[in-house]
Amino acid sequence: MSPSLYKQMMKSNFKSIMSFGMASAVYVILMTSLFPMISDNIDKIQELTEIYPDSLMKAFGLESFGTYGEFISAEYYGLFFLFILGIFSVMTAIQLIAKLVDRGSMAYLLSTKVSRAQVAITQISVLITGLIIIIFLNFAGGYAAGELLIDDQYAIAMGDFFQINFVGFLLFFAVGGYSILFSSLFNDEKMAFAAAGGVTFLFYALDMAGKIVSDLEWLRNLSIFSLYEPAKIAKGDVNVVLVSLILFGLGLLMYIATVLVFRRRNLPL
Amino acid sequence: MITIHNLTRQFSNGKGIFDVSFDVKKGEVFGFLGPNGSGKSTTIRHLMGYMKPQKGRATVFDYDSWTEQAKAREHVGYLPGEIAFLDGMNGTEFLDMIAGMQGKKVKEKRSELIHLLQFDPKTPIRKMSKGMKQKVGIVATFMHDPDIYILDEPTSGLDPLMQRVFIELVLKEKEKGKTFLMSSHSFSEIERTCDRAAIIKDGRIVTVKDIHELQSMQRKIFDITLHNLEDVEALKSSSLSIEKVDGNMVRIEVQGNYDEFFKELANYHVKNVSATNQSLEQIFMDYYNAEEVPR
Repeated sequence: MSPSLYKQMMKSNFKSIMSFGMASAVYVILMTSLFPMISDNIDKIQELTEIYPDSLMKAFGLESFGTYGEFISAEYYGLFFLFILGIFSVMTAIQLIAKLVDRGSMAYLLSTKVSRAQVAITQISVLITGLIIIIFLNFAGGYAAGELLIDDQYAIAMGDFFQINFVGFLLFFAVGGYSILFSSLFNDEKMAFAAAGGVTFLFYALDMAGKIVSDLEWLRNLSIFSLYEPAKIAKGDVNVVLVSLILFGLGLLMYIATVLVFRRRNLPL
Repeated sequence: MITIHNLTRQFSNGKGIFDVSFDVKKGEVFGFLGPNGSGKSTTIRHLMGYMKPQKGRATVFDYDSWTEQAKAREHVGYLPGEIAFLDGMNGTEFLDMIAGMQGKKVKEKRSELIHLLQFDPKTPIRKMSKGMKQKVGIVATFMHDPDIYILDEPTSGLDPLMQRVFIELVLKEKEKGKTFLMSSHSFSEIERTCDRAAIIKDGRIVTVKDIHELQSMQRKIFDITLHNLEDVEALKSSSLSIEKVDGNMVRIEVQGNYDEFFKELANYHVKNVSATNQSLEQIFMDYYNAEEVPR
């Protein structure tokens, strides 16, 4: 890892990290502020949702809205959170390696005694730091809003809320892992983006399809997204340690592969 | 300091470099001449460890340029042929980053270089002209006082004044015993600084020669305008190689025989002299394939 490169890369990516982080935090706070209203009218809402097919309710985690934990998991962590973090992970991973190779700026990063492995590790660190900052803003925003706006009887335990965010972080630790692996594999920025974005979308679609059509539930086993079930974490139905270990292991494997690939390949610089 | 031995890499389109071998000694300024697309940059990319040789090897400062690339690069100042900086920085930020990665104290030399090249490093890079970017690149290359300089077409984008400043900079570093490998497609750029030069064409080294030898191989064309037509006739019957006569103007080709040229011309009233350099392409056409030189 090269401190000077890390510093400059954080500086270059700081705006984007902060906008993703702030946007998602504001969204959590907004959704949280809606909860008391929804909670007061829960009967009417449940009447309304009864007309939906069960599978659809399951897909979006709308089975129960009773507690804040279930509500925020369904309305945010099961949906917008995945979009925001997915876009950030893919985009940033491509920018950190493939874009620099494609445009030729990598020649400068590799003109000093800093080795290829060190450059790759630095870029990976920037990606992970970005994810941590965004998740932290999510957690802090959601937690603060929850404390201030939600009645104690409905509030989610801090521990559960932390788990939702923590497993969410590890999910994108893994998504960022394969994205940056693609980023180090391709010479062409667009190809890398298509590969990483395509795989991410495919994973998301497989998970969705498996949730909606019960006959196709096996499809979910092919998707990394099935490991992240915030509503179940809120209810305490998930073995968080096991899921965390799997996601962390997958991510770590991808990052190691990224460094190995980047060390050995020919660069068109 | 730099050795290249049978370096070969063929690309999928059939182009590439084939059995390239030469070495650059300590304290030497070595020119690497060839037209665009002849394999200069590919060779340099191997030296910087961006590409793995298919065959052969290259060493820089006794380190293998592929397997020990980071160690090799520690001693190198590299100026890429096509400068592509990172987005959203100004020159100072970029130089700070590179200096940090080089891991050496550069403050003094850096401000010296900026003063010498006369530009404002605080300018955002995306607002810089090509020449200004080239200057930032030159500062990044020279500021950490490396032992070896690898420069890919260093003066492209610089105006003639700055080209001269750059040449002085190279000569100053050379005095300190630094080693240079400098690629170019212009002979005149190389001849002012280099001791030896390799000429590469279609991925193969055509020749490695002392620069003076190359200079003497180079034919120069002089257009001489004389005062009167009798002199033109007299000149035509001399032993000089006359290419063309157009009124009072005589085009003479000189290849090394400057002495004879001047002695002959001293006999006439000369009104005007203008010289044109033979292009690089023509020089190694002479060397490579003499019968194809257009007359």
